[in-house]
Amino acid sequence: MANVRCLHKLIRLQKLLLPLNAQSSRLAPLQPRPLTFLLSRRYASEDKTTNLESFRAREEQREKERDAADTKKEAAGGGGGSAGSGAGSQQDEAKQAKVDAIRVKILDAALQHVPQHGWSRQAIVQGAEDSGYPSVVHGMFPEGGFALVSHFNGKCNAELVESLQRKTDDGKLEVENPMDFLVQAVRQRMEMIAPYKAQWPQAMALIAQPQHAPTALAQVLTLVDDICYYSGDRSVDFGWYTRRVGLATILKMTELYMLQDTSPGHANTWEFLKNRMDEAVQLQMMLNQTEGMTHTFQRSFNSAFVTARNILGLGYNRN
Amino acid sequence: MQSSRSTRLLYLTRRLLQHRPASQKAAPAAEGAPAGSGTGSSGEQTTHFGFQTVRESEKEQKVHEVFEQVAKSYDLMNDAMSMGIHRLWKDIFVERLGPTHGMKLLDMAGGTGDISFRYLKYLANQPNPTKRISHVTVSDINQHMLDVGEERARRLGLTSDRLPNSSVAWKCADAEKLPFQDESFNAYTIAFGIRNCTHVDKVLSEAYRVLQPGGRFMCLEFSHLTNETMQWLYDQYSFQVIPPMGQLLAGQWQAYQYLVESIRRFPKQEQFKQMIQQAGFDHVSYENLTFGVVSIHSGFKL
Repeated sequence: MANVRCLHKLIRLQKLLLPLNAQSSRLAPLQPRPLTFLLSRRYASEDKTTNLESFRAREEQREKERDAADTKKEAAGGGGGSAGSGAGSQQDEAKQAKVDAIRVKILDAALQHVPQHGWSRQAIVQGAEDSGYPSVVHGMFPEGGFALVSHFNGKCNAELVESLQRKTDDGKLEVENPMDFLVQAVRQRMEMIAPYKAQWPQAMALIAQPQHAPTALAQVLTLVDDICYYSGDRSVDFGWYTRRVGLATILKMTELYMLQDTSPGHANTWEFLKNRMDEAVQLQMMLNQTEGMTHTFQRSFNSAFVTARNILGLGYNRN
Repeated sequence: MQSSRSTRLLYLTRRLLQHRPASQKAAPAAEGAPAGSGTGSSGEQTTHFGFQTVRESEKEQKVHEVFEQVAKSYDLMNDAMSMGIHRLWKDIFVERLGPTHGMKLLDMAGGTGDISFRYLKYLANQPNPTKRISHVTVSDINQHMLDVGEERARRLGLTSDRLPNSSVAWKCADAEKLPFQDESFNAYTIAFGIRNCTHVDKVLSEAYRVLQPGGRFMCLEFSHLTNETMQWLYDQYSFQVIPPMGQLLAGQWQAYQYLVESIRRFPKQEQFKQMIQQAGFDHVSYENLTFGVVSIHSGFKL
């Protein structure tokens, strides 16, 4: 919507400028250009205001068709000459699934030992022995404690998404108070960390290590993306980024605050969270008001963000 | 002293001159044979011994002879040839294995105990509040190598009666026919040994047999460099420096000629990874050290 408003402003500006243009008759050959430009702009804006929903529906339809074509092609390939290789890859997949299941089993068991041993190889070893494997199997987790941290984060994120889905009926229900929804979601996520609070600084140190940055960043960003999506954010403009980066910042600030918070039931943390969220909303409103002026900046930031996102490989698989 | 050295040098140059055409002749013959093993004219299976093609029954004997000859100077030669880096490789190897108390390790081809001693020291440096007993069986096909290793263990005080929570056993055994029960170990290491075995696939399936579910197979072996320039440099070093060095320090030209040739005949990283997978191991991965001069392969029996 912000883009559309922006367009309106631009058009109004053009209208004001047009008479000036028309007066300077020496620039006659240039005259048609702003006119067509204006026409095309108006056409585009009309299309957008009335048909944003239909545009989205069209895109989704197209995507579905593409997916269907892909699966059809795959099925044809499997049924055709390469049946042998298809079976081989299926076997590989089954094997991979088995390995993944064992990894999850070991890490789940290891979580119980985190309060005693921290986010460490020792906890994984204990978990492996609990689930009936010899200690050497810890070699399956060469990143050591971080494997445990990222597993825990992934598990909590999945849990949160599930509960958000239940609350909003898989994103179909309109959220009445998005800000309150965000606060509640962040709070729910933070409460999952509470049992491991004493060991959490260690986990944050592991997350901060450069070699773990891609996984850790992707996990945070998918988390905030999910929260924003279920809060009813369907934006396709630059606000998509600011909202997510803003929420991620608040999330991390709250996390840090919670580590030092000794108030009963982390009451201070929730207070802190509420205040930061209010500030963010105010900031966004202010930005919205000055949007026309910052349009050019936005566009350059936008391309920088897209580039950074692609470099970081955030076409990240959530499963 | 002066004269004996010069005669030795003379002898060495003569050997160098004599040897080159011979090895060049042998190489194309070996290239023609299929990698791994094929069928000779006599009907018996053949395999490679360095760049030569020999009958399978012969290879074992030949490898045995090589290691019988070099057992005494093995450690000295390792230091000289790798400029001491083999110690780092072995340290990294044991670090990747990450020994924990209660582990039962089979150190195959562990003759002089390099891996086992590191394993025992690694365990000794870790707290063991529950007093769990760890175990290592050092195994080698060659009794001469085991003798050297046992002697070293006695000198270092790394024997069963002097270690509080670890036991060490020495056993002469063939990696292709292990005299151990199924699922009797939870880790299997083979460092610089699998290359010398006649049937690598049999070694791998035997490793799979003696490991418990969840057990880990780890192999440290010379491999192939990823960079062609480095490979060329490495080849020059291997063929021009190592055999003369072997002659000078250990009095063995042939043994070290075999060593460098057998390294070239060993499958590349990816191919060996597939062999490990075929033996039934899961979650197989490898890591190159020093540009791929050696690589660590690891797999799990799940």
